[in-house]
Amino acid sequence: MTKRPSIFLRTVSTPLILILVLACFLALAALVNSGPFNQVVIDAFVKVTLVVGLYVFIGNSGVISFGHIGFTCLGAYATAWLTIPPMMKKMALPGLPDLILETKLPFGIAIVLGGIFAAIFALIVGKILMRLSGIAASIATFAMLAVINTVYSNWERVTGATSSVVGIPIVRVVWPYFLAAAGAILIAHLYAISRSGLALRAARDEAIAASASGVDIGRERLIAFIISAFITGLAGALSAHSVGVVTPDTFYLNLTFICLSMLVVGGMNSLSGAVMGVVVLSVIIQVLRQFEKGVDFGGTVLAIPNGLQEITIGIVMVVILIARPSGLTRNTEIVWRRWPFKRVSATAGS
Amino acid sequence: MTALLQILFDALSLGSLYALGAIGIALIFGVMRLVNFAHGDYISFCVFALLWPSIDAAAIVFAGQLPAYLLIPIILATGACLSMLSEVLVFRRFRNANPATMMIASFALGFVIKYTLLMLFSSRPKSIDLWSELALPVEILDARIPLLQVITIIITVLILAALVAFLKRTRFGLEMRAAAENFTMARMLGVRANAVILLAFAISGMLAASIGLILVTQTGTVDIQMGSSVMLVAFIATVIGGLGSLPGAVVAGFLIGGISVLMQVILPLEVRPFRDAFVYGAVIVVLIWRPNGLFAPRSAKQRV
Amino acid sequence: MSLLNIKDISVNYGRLSALRNASLTLAKGDTLFVTGPNGAGKSTLLKAIAGVVAPKSGTICFADKNIGGRTPEDIARLGFSMVPEGRHVFGSLTIEENLRLGVGMRDDKDVAERELETIYSVFPMLKDRRYQTAGVLSGGQQQMLVIGRALMANPQLIAIDEPSLGLAPKVIDDVYAVLLKLRDTRGLTLLIVEQSSARATMTGGRMILLRGGEIVLEGDARELTKSDALKAAYFGYGEHH
Repeated sequence: MTKRPSIFLRTVSTPLILILVLACFLALAALVNSGPFNQVVIDAFVKVTLVVGLYVFIGNSGVISFGHIGFTCLGAYATAWLTIPPMMKKMALPGLPDLILETKLPFGIAIVLGGIFAAIFALIVGKILMRLSGIAASIATFAMLAVINTVYSNWERVTGATSSVVGIPIVRVVWPYFLAAAGAILIAHLYAISRSGLALRAARDEAIAASASGVDIGRERLIAFIISAFITGLAGALSAHSVGVVTPDTFYLNLTFICLSMLVVGGMNSLSGAVMGVVVLSVIIQVLRQFEKGVDFGGTVLAIPNGLQEITIGIVMVVILIARPSGLTRNTEIVWRRWPFKRVSATAGS
Repeated sequence: MTALLQILFDALSLGSLYALGAIGIALIFGVMRLVNFAHGDYISFCVFALLWPSIDAAAIVFAGQLPAYLLIPIILATGACLSMLSEVLVFRRFRNANPATMMIASFALGFVIKYTLLMLFSSRPKSIDLWSELALPVEILDARIPLLQVITIIITVLILAALVAFLKRTRFGLEMRAAAENFTMARMLGVRANAVILLAFAISGMLAASIGLILVTQTGTVDIQMGSSVMLVAFIATVIGGLGSLPGAVVAGFLIGGISVLMQVILPLEVRPFRDAFVYGAVIVVLIWRPNGLFAPRSAKQRV
Repeated sequence: MSLLNIKDISVNYGRLSALRNASLTLAKGDTLFVTGPNGAGKSTLLKAIAGVVAPKSGTICFADKNIGGRTPEDIARLGFSMVPEGRHVFGSLTIEENLRLGVGMRDDKDVAERELETIYSVFPMLKDRRYQTAGVLSGGQQQMLVIGRALMANPQLIAIDEPSLGLAPKVIDDVYAVLLKLRDTRGLTLLIVEQSSARATMTGGRMILLRGGEIVLEGDARELTKSDALKAAYFGYGEHH
């Protein structure tokens, strides 16, 4: 019989363990200290932020959203508007309001504002969308994504339409991305154990019982929607600074698919699943990318054709959906109980 | 008058494509509650079946060289096979899964198909000359209408008529309608579930193939993205029409075609590029107003 | 030779046990009433036979074949007709189309026409409204339609979940008259779920009582209702069989 660890350890251990995992990657990046590897780790941290944001809404509400990449798009363009040097902005995006045209904010402030911009948009749209449930809600979020994409792909004077918006200050140090991902995990965890988060998960599992006991499902969903929009918007802003360029099509169906895959592969209903999904798929993607570039096998360079990376991801996804619909974590959270880590059910515990 | 006629034909031919797409999606949704995001990629796949795999910029025409009486059946069969294959390999394993899981699985399948095409043909659009003589205009009441538009509309009407005849007059059609309404009850009456679903997939795949053929004739290009744009609108038409309602899908398809063409004409020049945003926005409005669509089948609410 | 032979089947919904070690046999031409309070597992029993839910353990044999693990359509094609609770008419199909679906497994034009005429002669109301959609029918008419549809297949066994629910007494009488006539003329076997035992007393036949997922009582319908055992078992006080 082992002694059960304190309730405190059990409730806060999940985010701490997850952040620790990310810290390992941070340390690894510092150790390797190569530009390309840093970029890989940065990319993974951005994805963690993004997928954790997605989890806040999908995991807690049980409603599949195909629209969150729209928020990512909003966040990315918002930070572009705020950080591109005014000279370049006046040339490329003359349609912006004068106030924005004249400003140039530091990276740290701009990304937060990017997240807030997405959150405000989510507040307005969510007021309408959150009345829906099930398939109708999923499709409405999809339509929202399509609207955002169409507007950003055509609003020449404000978004540069389909051409790339350049001049976003590139941030190549890793730690800001780590901080953002860790922050996202903390926010997601705090939300999940909050009154609203608990009520929403109760409603996800037992809709009728929850509404009978006074849970206003629409309101709780809206709260989750706004928080997750903030995080995914922030992730969009981060991704803009990680590469220095934004185009509308970066934030469309492919990214939606990759992020949903990551969440589903890990386990939609758990925070640990969100993080684990990103880590596992990022590793697979990196390995495949390496193969696409060509791998030297004792003199002969073998390269797999372009596209095989995405095909593999798609197949992995289908196989996991069939074999393990609740994801690699089986929708459980990783908690500190005793060595090694044990899992508890995300629905019963956490 | 002639301008009006031109708009009418534009609207009808665009609506035809959307209606054919919407009905393909609605058919599958009806029998297995699957929103098939891979449908658009079936369209692209069928178009690429005209070509020989090559990542060169120039298209190497393969099946596209055949005479129409061979080419059309081959492409239709390609669509049907691909669609049935996806049911057997993928969707069959999700029979008891919830709709959201199936939706994601279909998303994944579409992704696989799209990138298979990319691997074989590269992502660059290629031009191909298929029945380009059909682009010539014909004169109808003084208006010069491209022959292809007229043919598109006629073909669509024929396909819809055939589909109605199939659904109303044949045993399989009856079973399919029953299965769409209450699948379990239909099975308890001896309706063979797998056969009906497979047939629905076959028809849906053929519809995708016919859209592909019309599109490639219209545009003269093949592109791995070409199915996606039609699918997105068709998909929206399915929702507006009431998921699972076949007449609803057709009406909504033509409705969206009409509205798109109309907006193109009446919207002020500076707003015109955002036309599609209005169409997508309309979906949200319709869903809020009627979460089950404009023409929801009576059974939609009973099914859990 | 028994037509239906159920041995020790148990059904779970998730962790919830809905039916435990139920066994029963039915010979051709038998009438069996299944009764019991709400949630006793009556509908689950029928669904397990129909192949809609999979038993966790036990065997079900129908028409000399082990039907465990078979699909609902296969079981239907062996001659098992099911009328589930809740009147599942196909509302967008016409009445005649609904009926024609019932004959699915024997898609011989002549057979279909002959069965159709038989059903119409039993329920003339259906014939009068044959080209209307079934969605417009009243509850009682829908019940006639689903029973008629189940009979179209000329089944060996018909299982009906609560045929009396929501029907006027006169209509209930008509429905039972039809069923009994078919039993006596064609040797149709009846498996009927009713919550009350009143009908079983009038009709005769065997009866089982389910409670909490178990068969707690079995015997001749008339004798069981006369004794106090039924009432006792129904409400769960005193386990004296």
